[in-house]
Amino acid sequence: MAHTATDRALHVGGKTATGKAGRRRSVRGGWHETGVAGLFLLPALLGFVVFFLYPTLRGIYLSFTEYDLLTSPHWIGTKNFVKLWHDPLFWNALRVTFEYVVINIGVQTVLALGLAVLIHRITKSTMVRGVILLPYLIANVIVALLWYWMADVNLGVLNQMLGWVGVHPIAFFGDSHWAIPTIALVNVWKFMGYTALLIFAGLQTIPATVYEAAVMDGASEWKIFWRITVPLLRPVLTLVLMITIIGSWQIFDTVAITTKGGPINSTRVLQYYIYDQAFSRYNFGYASAISVVLFLILAGVAFAQMKLLRADESDLA
Amino acid sequence: MRRKSALLAALMTVPLALTACGGGSSNSSGAAGGAASGQVSYWLWDANQAPAYQQCATDFHAKNPAITVKITQKGWDDYWSAITTGMVSGTAPDVFTDHLSKYTDFFTKHQILPLDDLIKKDKVDTSIYQPGLADLWVGSDGHRYGLPKDWDTVAIFYNKKLTDTAGLTADQLNTMAWNPSDGGTYEKALAHLTVDKNGKRGDEPGFDKNNVKTYGLWLDGSGSGFGQTQWSMYALSDGWTATNKNPWGSHYNYDSPKFQETIKWWKSLIDKGYMPSLKNSTGLDGLTQLAAGKAAMVTNGDWNTGATFANKSATFVPAVAPTPVGPSGKRASLFNGLADSIYAGTKHKEAAWEWVKYLASPACQSVVGDKGVVFPAVPAASDAAAKAFAAKGADVTAFTVQVKDKTTVLPWITAHAADIDAIMKPALDAVMGGQADVSSLTKANNEVNALFSGG
Amino acid sequence: MTTQVSIADVAAPPAPESSAAHERRQFSWGRLLAWTTLSLFLLITLFPLYWMLRTALSNNRALFSDPTSWLPVHPTLGGFKRVLGISSVEQAQAEGGSGASLHFWLYLRNSMIVSTAITAGQVFFSAMAAYAFARLRWPGRNAVFFLFLTALMVPPIFTMLPNFVLMKNLGLLNTFPGIVLPFFFMTPFAVFFLRQFFLGISRELEEAAILDGAGHIRIFFKIILPLSSAPITTLGLLTFINAWNEYFWPLLVAQNDNVRVLTVALGVFKSQTPQGSPDWAGLMAAALVAAIPIIVLFLAFGRKIVDSIQFSGIK
Repeated sequence: MAHTATDRALHVGGKTATGKAGRRRSVRGGWHETGVAGLFLLPALLGFVVFFLYPTLRGIYLSFTEYDLLTSPHWIGTKNFVKLWHDPLFWNALRVTFEYVVINIGVQTVLALGLAVLIHRITKSTMVRGVILLPYLIANVIVALLWYWMADVNLGVLNQMLGWVGVHPIAFFGDSHWAIPTIALVNVWKFMGYTALLIFAGLQTIPATVYEAAVMDGASEWKIFWRITVPLLRPVLTLVLMITIIGSWQIFDTVAITTKGGPINSTRVLQYYIYDQAFSRYNFGYASAISVVLFLILAGVAFAQMKLLRADESDLA
Repeated sequence: MRRKSALLAALMTVPLALTACGGGSSNSSGAAGGAASGQVSYWLWDANQAPAYQQCATDFHAKNPAITVKITQKGWDDYWSAITTGMVSGTAPDVFTDHLSKYTDFFTKHQILPLDDLIKKDKVDTSIYQPGLADLWVGSDGHRYGLPKDWDTVAIFYNKKLTDTAGLTADQLNTMAWNPSDGGTYEKALAHLTVDKNGKRGDEPGFDKNNVKTYGLWLDGSGSGFGQTQWSMYALSDGWTATNKNPWGSHYNYDSPKFQETIKWWKSLIDKGYMPSLKNSTGLDGLTQLAAGKAAMVTNGDWNTGATFANKSATFVPAVAPTPVGPSGKRASLFNGLADSIYAGTKHKEAAWEWVKYLASPACQSVVGDKGVVFPAVPAASDAAAKAFAAKGADVTAFTVQVKDKTTVLPWITAHAADIDAIMKPALDAVMGGQADVSSLTKANNEVNALFSGG
Repeated sequence: MTTQVSIADVAAPPAPESSAAHERRQFSWGRLLAWTTLSLFLLITLFPLYWMLRTALSNNRALFSDPTSWLPVHPTLGGFKRVLGISSVEQAQAEGGSGASLHFWLYLRNSMIVSTAITAGQVFFSAMAAYAFARLRWPGRNAVFFLFLTALMVPPIFTMLPNFVLMKNLGLLNTFPGIVLPFFFMTPFAVFFLRQFFLGISRELEEAAILDGAGHIRIFFKIILPLSSAPITTLGLLTFINAWNEYFWPLLVAQNDNVRVLTVALGVFKSQTPQGSPDWAGLMAAALVAAIPIIVLFLAFGRKIVDSIQFSGIK
């Protein structure tokens, strides 16, 4: 019984609902609805075509050209992609960004999940939820600067605190081994609360009766978490993961404010490398080629995620 | 529900109504081309200098009522990308403060105007500036792209409180000398000024180089290919020349023994504990660390004089000493000079030129000099600036002595600046970070030179 | 059992009551651990914000003489005064500010205009599009939706420059429409988000309305929108926050003072000195003040969102 109830509860995409009514709908669907649909869709479609589709297509075109922004682009075929293949900095950027994504998403998801469950199980206070959302409300520029200062190897308060427990000061942004993890953790701080709230929303769809039944059966909190909460959260987690992973691959702001790609290229992430090539080196064609690759990576990641996590939520099937 | 749609609708119209009265660009007014009139937009990056140039703009307008100058200050971090995007969209400022490392790209892409004909037509005298500055702005195509605006040199900012405690007099500090083998009196001073957490100085037995409280000298990054405030003063006073000719050389000498021995010595200061390691000095800049007592000395440029002296506190008494004399028998400092360029797409060419002429004239430069924020290119004005600095309590003879003694070196200008930087920065970072030996700079040098031969 | 009401159900759902009772019944080491962990999270979240406040209340000049002091160093309201433009140039420079003023109220107004316009347009048009995807049947629907989704993956830098050139060609640089337009019609996230909610709305109400002769437009405005007030408010808030914190695009298109938004102004304020440190106290004060409108908004709508955000119809 619980199984069916939660099944219905968790069809985020309402597949069941659509499926059921769809059969009745299709008799009346077709062209009439297309006209209305067109009306509803028009503004969004306009925005999409003009501000997303056209620039993307133009960007793809530019990736086959040599373009310095100030004179006309000039076609060079696949030379940019060949150059990319042989460019050690590109592979470096790929590796560094991947490292960032793994640390950022790994830590953020675990912490957000834990936080969401904590909030769900032990308090309903809106104030707590409000507090954890605060970092999300502060502009990226400031968050980066703030942490740059707090984590400064000489004057920062973090190292002061480490000193209390006898740990030698760590050059968070200056040490090429620490730089990317530090940036990853700064962004965890910023987005942890927001992610937790999204997961929390999903948690609220799980009926309390499920928990009560489990408690009555004598299950421990830990077991409840692993056997009930996590599986039931799968669609929500999928949504959250997909959005956060895509966002994570596009990291830029924090790097631009703090390390600017250093030390020794250890934080030269893809989007920063693209920006660097486009605006400082006037290689907009090459930068576009890298962007195309980034786009393909993201599409691949999204696709893989959807398949691996068996997301039921989109009506694509 | 009805309220919601009404609210949404209302919200939608409000911003549109506001834009009708609020927004709108105010870029150009006045006739395009034609007599010198209209509004000239002018950009600069140093906020400290903005009031001085605003004064110039007001004076200029009094002399040329048909022209108004609108000054915009944008911080260095955003300045160049804003200029680039402005050029892309055709909305770059009419006149802007230009930099030697950037103007090559601009003129090769025809984004700034050559000034030769204008200079000839109005008989502008280009010899009134400090020697060497004007020629820095002649491009590899032989055309002049800017008139000198100011110059800067580097020196050693130090904390007098700490040097007094260490028993070093101003005279001693002003006459230091260094050499690549034992560092000379310079290194001795640095050692003596370095204090570890147990109070032991760098030249005393029992000095713990892993637990330093105050460093003798701070490290402000590896300096990349120029090392203007980092290593140029050492390498150049060792007799090293960067390129085969200047400006517009085509062969670099980072493989020269003189260069490499300089960097090797400079790196050794880290190993001995007198200078922080690269990773431990990344973060807040050297002058901040100086004010905070983490270092006794920092090499930096005169453009930071105002800010540094203003940080005076109970524990920080700022002072300046000239860079140490090198094995060549003389000291050395890079002699950088800024100029103002005119955007090729300007719609107010005549007005822009009038403004540029004024900026480069003694009239405006003495106004700037009197404010004591930077050294203008006209000698009389830079003397006035030195006086103005002194009146604020900052003795800047350490900067001016380089000009007086003619120990300045013009920065080396070549093509491919951005690509060279992209090679040299990681290379120098690796050496100073201890991840590569000094000899790796030869390989980097080969890569740099390959840019000129093969492209 | 009906499902549709749950979305607008702001009243406390039954679940909290039973688990509240559950809470009161047990003290255990587990709960203590849980509370400790939660407190740790809150502490980590709040400490940097406290640090911002502490710096904002410090005197810049003295800041570096005692950089790790936990209390404000030489407490002063100078930072806030510089931000709000009520400090004179001498006062500002004496305390380590640059003397360049931050036209705070002007930039605040600009940010409000931009964020409100973007939120209003984006939410409304995305809702319309989401309805078309969720509730209407038409050929190619899934393909177009997938296409919209792929826009999520386009690196922003890809679209920024062509959009910039477009704005220039339309003569919209340094205008509010120039900043607002790319975000005004939709973002993939907004459409995706609302579509998920609309999919969960029960069809029975709709079908009843259709039988009564209502067209889709009426259904949209009179049924769907009201039922989705919670997710729409949530989306509105999220959109507003994102628009408020947007930095690179406004930096690119809107340089002039009369259209400059707060984040860009903060960036400018930060890099006033070419080398050397920014006016930390002023900067932190500016950041705090810049975050206040959002915090206020959140306080006003927060309860509603945080309490009733639901992912789909239940039971």
